[in-house]
Amino acid sequence: MPIERFSRRALLTRMGMGFGAAAASSLLQGAGMGPLSPRPPHAAPKATAVIFLFMHGGVSHVDTWDPKPELARLDGQTLPPSFAKGLKTSRIDFTKALMRGSPWKFKRHGQSGIEVSELFPHMVRHIDRMALIRSCHGDAFDHAPAMYLRSTGSQFPGKPSLGAWAVYGLGSESQNLPAYVVMSDGAMKSGPQGYGAGYLPAVYQGTVFRAGAYPILDLATPEGVGAATQRKTLDFIHEMDQIHLETRRGDSELEARLESYELAFRMQAAAPEAVDISRETEATRRLYGIGEPRTDDFGRKCLLARRLVERGVRFIQLYSGTHLGDDWDGAHNDLVGSHNKMAAKSDLPVAGLLTDLAARGMLDSTLVVWSSEFGRTPLAEGKNGRDHHPYAFSMWMAGAGVRGGRVLGSTDEFGLRPAEHPLNAHDANATILRMMGLDHTRLTYFYQGRDQRLTDVHGEHEFTKFLSGP
Amino acid sequence: MSGLDLSGREPILRGGSRGPAAVPGAPEKSLLLKAVLREDKVAMPPTGPIPEAEVQALRDWIRKGMEWTAPAAPVARNWWSFTKPVKSSGPASIDPFIQLKLAEQKLAASSEASRGTLVRRLYLDLTGLRPTADEAARFIRDPDPDAYAKLVDKLLESQRYGEKWGRHWLDLVRYSDTAGFELDSYIADAWRYRDYVIASFNNDKPYDRFIREQIAGDEFFPEDPASVTGTGLYCVGPNRDLYPDQSDINREETLTDFVDTTAGVFLGLTFGCARCHDHKFDPFTQRDYYKLRAVFAPAVKTKIALDRLTSLSYDVQGNIREIKLREIGEQIGSIERRCREEVLKGRRPKAQEVRACLSPAELDRMRSVEAWLVSLYTSYRAKPFACGLNDVGDYAPRTLVPVKGQMEGDPVNPGLPAVFGGAEFRDRLGPRETTGPIPLGPTTERRRALADWIASRDNPLTARVFVNRVWQYHFGRGLVATPSDFGMRGRAPSHPELLDWLAAEFMANGWKPKWLHRLILNSAAYRRASTASSQALARDPENIWLARFTRRRLNAEELRDTVLQASGALNLKMGGRPVVPPLTGEEGFNMIGRAADMWVVTHDAREHTRRSIYLFQKRTFRLPMMEVFDAPESMLTCARRDVSTTSPQSLTLLNGSFAVEQSRKLAARLAAEHPEEAALIRAMWRSTLSRDPSTREEAMARDFLGAQSAQTGSREKAAAELARGLFNVNEFLYAD
Repeated sequence: MPIERFSRRALLTRMGMGFGAAAASSLLQGAGMGPLSPRPPHAAPKATAVIFLFMHGGVSHVDTWDPKPELARLDGQTLPPSFAKGLKTSRIDFTKALMRGSPWKFKRHGQSGIEVSELFPHMVRHIDRMALIRSCHGDAFDHAPAMYLRSTGSQFPGKPSLGAWAVYGLGSESQNLPAYVVMSDGAMKSGPQGYGAGYLPAVYQGTVFRAGAYPILDLATPEGVGAATQRKTLDFIHEMDQIHLETRRGDSELEARLESYELAFRMQAAAPEAVDISRETEATRRLYGIGEPRTDDFGRKCLLARRLVERGVRFIQLYSGTHLGDDWDGAHNDLVGSHNKMAAKSDLPVAGLLTDLAARGMLDSTLVVWSSEFGRTPLAEGKNGRDHHPYAFSMWMAGAGVRGGRVLGSTDEFGLRPAEHPLNAHDANATILRMMGLDHTRLTYFYQGRDQRLTDVHGEHEFTKFLSGP
Repeated sequence: MSGLDLSGREPILRGGSRGPAAVPGAPEKSLLLKAVLREDKVAMPPTGPIPEAEVQALRDWIRKGMEWTAPAAPVARNWWSFTKPVKSSGPASIDPFIQLKLAEQKLAASSEASRGTLVRRLYLDLTGLRPTADEAARFIRDPDPDAYAKLVDKLLESQRYGEKWGRHWLDLVRYSDTAGFELDSYIADAWRYRDYVIASFNNDKPYDRFIREQIAGDEFFPEDPASVTGTGLYCVGPNRDLYPDQSDINREETLTDFVDTTAGVFLGLTFGCARCHDHKFDPFTQRDYYKLRAVFAPAVKTKIALDRLTSLSYDVQGNIREIKLREIGEQIGSIERRCREEVLKGRRPKAQEVRACLSPAELDRMRSVEAWLVSLYTSYRAKPFACGLNDVGDYAPRTLVPVKGQMEGDPVNPGLPAVFGGAEFRDRLGPRETTGPIPLGPTTERRRALADWIASRDNPLTARVFVNRVWQYHFGRGLVATPSDFGMRGRAPSHPELLDWLAAEFMANGWKPKWLHRLILNSAAYRRASTASSQALARDPENIWLARFTRRRLNAEELRDTVLQASGALNLKMGGRPVVPPLTGEEGFNMIGRAADMWVVTHDAREHTRRSIYLFQKRTFRLPMMEVFDAPESMLTCARRDVSTTSPQSLTLLNGSFAVEQSRKLAARLAAEHPEEAALIRAMWRSTLSRDPSTREEAMARDFLGAQSAQTGSREKAAAELARGLFNVNEFLYAD
């Protein structure tokens, strides 16, 4: 085995260990060796950007993308013992809880005629653009571990997330915006570790965009400080640093720090411009449901996602739902209420995003992924709920050349486990990296004595071929 | 799992449960080849087929008789870090070792740094704070030829030293005040361990004693709570103890964390791989891993009574309080019953609604209950307990080596990996002797045996790993650049003889950290200037050969602490409960749970400006300033922090609430004290950079203040801008 290959990426791997001055970054652009300077992919990418729509809290697959008439037929009965064996979750007992048919009706949609429930009347208009995966599975039945597992490949926090790996592999296209942006409703069950950089250098961590004109923390000049005053102070810093540098020539880290202030200043202009949707037409705003109370918030986030992709942002992770407030996880006690409410918030905006991306010719190079950390039990929790179900659930992908209107994998008659093509988080992550032109087996970072990967030693059921294949 | 080991020719021929892995000369009969061709049941590697060229190379190699160029079996035992350090007959101080390599590399050493540089370097390195301008000037002017050595001694005696070097140790032991994961529950007594670490460094505790206390303080020194507090090492890590529905998984993870942390921190070894299969790069088998893990099989977390009398009386008071609280709860329920069940029934009323509904008589009763409740807590203080480890008894559950991920397989006894001799530990049985009236619980003394081996002068790794860590913290890079990986995947030492000499001397001189600091800090290598010719920079960009000193950026804690030092707000109070500073809503965005529960702000504002090591360390959430400046995540041991340069850092230090507030504080103080512009500028420089401004700088600052005063209409605001600017200049952020 070759111990060290001196590719640029390998060198960057070593740089992550922070060896002194020369190893230091020259930051975003500069000499092309900075941790965020653009790097060639392993192969021609299908997707130059990814928008990952993460439904926080657990969406019931058997009430949305995966119809199970058997549940309705056997409503109120327990599972056959052989099916219940080996399954464990947060609150219910699989041997005792009762099957519950979906309260929503299913209908065939599009030319493909894929059956989806009435919960997503808008998204289904795009069914012929979507590759639907019905055989996702995992083994973590609490939210945070399951969220870490989906995003970082490990149930344990502290590992780099998919977006961080993507930017580590590809660098940033944008000169003055972060390459990996996260938008959420706050108070996430995974906390910031759900989109962290883990053991990768901190520069690869997702940057949270908040609501308002200054979406990045500490982006706005301090209260009571005008723009001219700020500029003068920056100039003073620059001048002082130039003097400092006179006797310290050749220290690229010091130079990078100088640049970082300039970048911060540019970002102060670029980010507010990026989030300013006042120039968008009324028709576009309507498309995303902006202005309607239920859809306004998520609609804005989806529209921002499109605007960020236009400005060279590489990876956008968008969460719907929060630990303290409206959440898909309300399904514990109130399946109908929670899912009606959460679907109403996000269905139209997501559909609008797909329409808008397609109309602008951006969908061909943007991969849109819709997923949740797990599904919900086909069995009832209490009278009106469903519990966490990591053993089978659904996701979809669209754009970036994905051939839509097709279904990959299936679950058993109750939606308990995958029946065909079981696909875990590694398989999905390997696929998304591949769509971005990255080979998940070659994208490594040396840490704790070995070359670490997002997919560890897994990802062997990567389904890239299915997405674009016949 | 199959027992297969591919680390040498012999083990390949021996093979695993499916028989020999290869037959020399007969590739077609070799399982190894079949596996990579994926012809048979076994398909390797799991990641997918390997290139045809590599398959062919393997086929040829087997056909030609499988020559193994490296020496086969003894390779592991002879690996440099697995044999005892040998004190060479060569040099007897650091510099000749360095000089030898510089000569080999044809590199010329930089000259000694100026006194101004040295004094700032030393203060930051040993205390994490800058020298004051007066302290710096005094050293620069000191005619004593021993001034430098005396300064080293003085700083090593400062209490600030333990706060700086304790933080290095806390990184290693993945310290946090919360448990992490979805609930991120409090580890309420974790700070006792933090204070123990700081005190240990300040007291120059011999490292072998430090090891024994942390791994098995309860077995070595059961009647000395201060030593037993060291076992807090095993309490301050991540855990999911509050997820009762998966206590079996939790125990697995806890034991994994115990083994990995112990091996990583003290031995510089990564054992993680061997948990699931034999380590492919290091000579550790899965069995070795489970032997170590068996050491911890009887260990459970426990509370340590710090002082028998106060702890006992605390328990007595707590016992009474518990009974009173139950009565109080009942009474509150009965007072509110009418409102909740009759007036506001059918919904979940808010606390204020219930309050508003109470009749005057009910309100009176409620107030007296409240007064009673308050009286229970008037003298309530932090518990006189620490969190630590002990054994459940002189027995332990069996440890089995899992097969195919299932917890069934051969039982193993606690002991050492085969490469270190493979000794097995025998459990100690029966009662322990005590000097006091209270009997000591039985214990297996497995951890004691492990600690004795680790803290032994015969251990090939322990002293090397520690001196290398200390070296790394001083120079920015270890003699072994992978400080927690001394195994076969780690980097080879740049100066192996020096490393061995340091390790041997360190042990011979009583394992005293301060002795080691003195030795290193007084070397010429440490005192060199950080500047070098561009040619020298190009020749040795990583500064492996130490021809110069490596400039470094201040870490997150140093930055926060030196800003506070400059503004005058720094509160040097030591120890105690973690301080929770206020956060703006924006800063707390995405924190798990309700801020009211998860971020309980310390009411006394003077506490908010204490040194960073005393701030609440939350495992799932870092203060923005700590996060952007690369403070560790504390899920795993961290031997070396990243040093990144990012624009969010600039934003935080430029616009963040902390930097802005401190710059205003500094400006308010200095502007009032110095009505003269020249004096104000001088004071600004001295407060932030510990020196007077140059003429050029003074002119710059004068222009700046003039322009900003005109812009903002206020001299004080202009001064605040100057302070904010100075907090952001490279001279403030870096140590030469």
